[in-house]
Formats: sequence, structure tokens, C-alpha cells
Amino acid sequence: WTSFSIMSGATEKSSTTTKTPADFLKSIRGRPVVVKLNSGVDYRGILACLDGYMNIAMEQTEEYVNGQLKNKYGDAFIRGNNVLYISTSKRTLGDGA
Amino acid sequence: MGSEEESAVKEPLDLIRLSLDERIYVKLRHDRELRGKLHAYDQHLNMILGDVEEIVTSVEIDDETYEEIVRTTRRTIPFLFVRGDGVILVSPPLRTA
Repeated sequence: WTSFSIMSGATEKSSTTTKTPADFLKSIRGRPVVVKLNSGVDYRGILACLDGYMNIAMEQTEEYVNGQLKNKYGDAFIRGNNVLYISTSKRTLGDGA
Repeated sequence: MGSEEESAVKEPLDLIRLSLDERIYVKLRHDRELRGKLHAYDQHLNMILGDVEEIVTSVEIDDETYEEIVRTTRRTIPFLFVRGDGVILVSPPLRTA
């Protein structure tokens, strides 16, 4: 895949734009994200940085297994091959939904 | 890799470098965890760890009661090479440890 359309639900953007995945990866640093792994485990936190392999560095990370909060990490580095997707969220701290 | 981008942007692997010679927590595939001192790593997340504790978690389900029995098996290893493809997550040690 070389491009995808983003529909906004976010507060800043108010139009539909077409970007490459690389543009998306550049734009989401510093945002709260949900990272889902191939294993089904969920990690929610603030995205510090990521690279083209989808290796991820996050802060204030919470680990959810089957929807249940299992662990918290101050910093977390996730190896990219495990990542199923990275999604932005409107998550605020303490929001377990 | 995105190395042609601005050099001020850090990659997740740069942030792992900050943990060199520190104790770290590593989550591996197959329900394994390691805690040890990070001596070396590379872009594959191959790692050399010292004074390592490995925890293997297994869940048995009782045939009659269907309750889950969670077992952990621990062993200590003075010096360990970890192959990177088994690594899921790397973090500074959890405080609850």
C-alpha cells in the first residue's frame, strides 16, 4: 500500500486528506496512541518516537490484556515486528476505556 | 530506515542506548520475562544481559473446576545472549518488582 485516506475525528484536522503512511508516522509523535500487537495485547501511552520498522518508544505506557489493565511502564520500547497497528486516541491519563 | 531525516529526531533504538549498563525488564514471546543488566544490543534487539532472572509463566486449566492455575518458573543466568526476534518489549525495571 502506498497511500491511505484519513478521516478526521481529531480536533485539529477538519478535512479529509490523503497521505502516505510515512507522513502519518511523522505526524503522530507526542500524541496519545494505542498500539496493538499481533498477540492481541494493547499498549496505551504517549508516543515518544518510532521508526520505519514500526519500532516504538512510548512513555506512561499501560498494558491491557483482554481489556484489563495488567502493567504500567514508565518507558517502553516495542519491537516493530510485533506491532499490528498504531492508532491515535483521545485518551487522557487514567482513562481505561 | 528513516536515517535520511533530520538528525535531531531520535529513533527508539537511540533511547534504548540510554539504558546501557542499567538494569532493564524485557518481555519475550512465549510468556517469558527477563530482568538483567543491559551490556549490549543491536538493531535486531539481540542483547547481552548480565545477572539475569528469567520468569516463565504458564497457565493450566483444571479439567473439573476450569479454574486457571498460573505458575511461574524462575531461573538465574549470569551472562546471556538474547536473540532479538523473540523480544516484544524493553523497559526500565518495574517498580513493583
